[in-house]
Amino acid sequence: MTPLLAIAGRELGSMFRTPVGWVVTALYALLTAVLFTLQTIDPGAPATLRYFFTPAAWLLMIVAPALSMRLFSEEYKAGTIEPLATAPVGPMTIVLGKYLGALASVVAMLVPTLAYPVVLAFLADAPLDAGAIASGYLGLLMVAMLYLAVGALVSTTTDSQVLAFLATLIALVLVMLAAGPASRFAPLLLLPLLAELNIQGRAAAFAAGVLETRHAVFFLAFSGAMLACAYASLAVREGR
Amino acid sequence: MIVVKHASKSFGATRAVNDLSFALQPGHMTGLLGPNGAGKTTTIRMIAGYLTPDAGSITLAGHPVQATRNADPNAAKRNLGYLPESAPLYPELKPAQYLDYRAKLFGLPRKERRAAVARVLDRCRLTDMAHKRIGVLSKGYRQRVGLAAAIVHDPPVLILDEPTNGLDPAQMRSTRALIAELAEQRTVLLCTHVIPEVERACARVLVIAAGRLVADGPPDEVGRRAPAIHLETTAPPQSETHPDPLPGAITHALGPQTALAPLPAEHQGWVRLAVTPDPAFKGDPQASIARVLAEHARPVRHLAPAAAPLEERIVDLIDRAATGEEAQA
Repeated sequence: MTPLLAIAGRELGSMFRTPVGWVVTALYALLTAVLFTLQTIDPGAPATLRYFFTPAAWLLMIVAPALSMRLFSEEYKAGTIEPLATAPVGPMTIVLGKYLGALASVVAMLVPTLAYPVVLAFLADAPLDAGAIASGYLGLLMVAMLYLAVGALVSTTTDSQVLAFLATLIALVLVMLAAGPASRFAPLLLLPLLAELNIQGRAAAFAAGVLETRHAVFFLAFSGAMLACAYASLAVREGR
Repeated sequence: MIVVKHASKSFGATRAVNDLSFALQPGHMTGLLGPNGAGKTTTIRMIAGYLTPDAGSITLAGHPVQATRNADPNAAKRNLGYLPESAPLYPELKPAQYLDYRAKLFGLPRKERRAAVARVLDRCRLTDMAHKRIGVLSKGYRQRVGLAAAIVHDPPVLILDEPTNGLDPAQMRSTRALIAELAEQRTVLLCTHVIPEVERACARVLVIAAGRLVADGPPDEVGRRAPAIHLETTAPPQSETHPDPLPGAITHALGPQTALAPLPAEHQGWVRLAVTPDPAFKGDPQASIARVLAEHARPVRHLAPAAAPLEERIVDLIDRAATGEEAQA
C-alpha cells in the first residue's frame, strides 16, 4: 500500500508544485464561478445547483486531459520512468498510483467550488437539497474518473504531453459526437450501444439529483476498462 | 550476486546483446567497459529489470529479475540500487522529498525512512541542499541525489551507469571517492567510458563490444595482453620486390603469434607500429625489438611500452570485435 500511496502523493504534490496544476485549478474556478453567477443566481428561480453541475461536467472534458497528459508522458520524456520501473512496484501499482494522484488533483480542484452551495444557501429563501448537491458532486467525480482513465491510457502511449492532451481531447469529443449528433448517421443496430456512451446525459442525471446504479456502474466499468488497457500498455512497454 | 546466463536482446534487426554470460560475486566493484552502442546500457537495463532479454536468464541476489509464473521480480528489485545514465530526477521535488519518496517505493516503514533519508543525505554530502529544489541544483549535486536515491534502501547490489558523466574534475573526484566508499560493502557494477576510473577502482573489468563479452578479468591482467610496445622508426623505401624486412624480423624475434598494427604517423618519413608479442614469448620484448632494429640499422625515435595498457587493449578488442575477429579474453 505504501508504494501506491507514495506514487499518488508524488503525483498530487507535483501537480501543485508546477504551474500547470495551479493554472488549471484557477481556470476551472474562474469558469465555474462565471457559470454559477450566470446560471444559478437568478432571482425568483429555484435554488438549485443543477445548472452549475451540467456545464461544470462539460468543462472537465478539457480540464481532465490537461491533468492526465503528464502522468506517463512526462516520465518517459524525462527518463524518470526508468528508476520508477526498476523499483519493486509493478505496472499495476504505477498505473493506479498515478491515477489516484490525478483524481485527488480533481478533488482538490473541486474544493473551491464548495463555496457556491454556501453562497446559494445564503441567498435562497428555501433550504437547499443537500442530497441533490452531493449527487451533483458525485456526478462530477464520476465524469472526472472516466476522463482521467482515458487520459492515463493515452499518456502511456506517448512521450509528448501535447500529443497526449490533444489525443485525449479528440477521443472524448469523438465519444460525445458518436453518442450525440453523429449517431443519426450510424446503423440502427449500433444506436442502443451509442446511446449508452452518452456521458453528458448520465452526468446530467447526477446533476438533477437522480442517483441510478446503472450510471455509476457505467462510469466505474468504463474507467476500469481504460485503466486495464493503461496497465497492459505500460506492461508491454516495460516488458520490451 | 548478479548472474547473467546467455542473455540476448535485439531491437528490430539490431542485436544489441548477444549471448552474454557472467557472474558477479558479492563485495566487489566490477567495471563494464565498451564503446558507444556496444550493449552496455542494454545489459544493465536487463539486469535492473527495465528491459526483458529475448533469451537467457538473469538473477539478482538469487531471485529472477524477469517475471515468471513462480517468481516475483520485485524480490530481485528490492536488492538493487540503480542509478541510470544522467540521473533522471523530478526537478520540482527537493532532495529530501525525493529520497523519502524512493524509500516509500521500497516499502521502508516511516521510522526507518526518516533515518535512512538523513543517513544518505549525510553520506552523499547533500544535507545543505536537502531543501532546495532539484531543478536548481548543479549537475554534480543532481548526480549525488541520484546516487543517494540508489542507496536509500541500503541495497546489497548497486548498478551505476556513467555516474561521473558530465561532471567537472572536482565533482568527478568526490563522486569517485563516494562510489569507492559504497563499494566497500556492496557488489557494484560500474558502467563507464572512463578507463582510468575502472583501473583505479575495480577489481574486475568486463569489456563488451558489438554486444558480446570480449574480455573479463582484473584490469591489470586484461591490460597485460595489450599491444605492449609502441615503436617509431624510419619508413623504408617501399618496393614490391623488396618488402620491408622489419615486421618479419620482429615476428621472428617475438614469436609467430606476434601482431603488428600500424598507428597514425606523427612525423613525416617515420612510421609508428603497435607490437603485441606472442603470448608464449618469454623475455623482454622491448630489448628484443631494440636488437632487431640495431641489426637492421634502423633509426629509432620512440620505443616504449604503451602508456595506457588497458585502454590499448580495449581499443584492440573493440577493433577485433568490429572486424569479426575472435578476441582472446
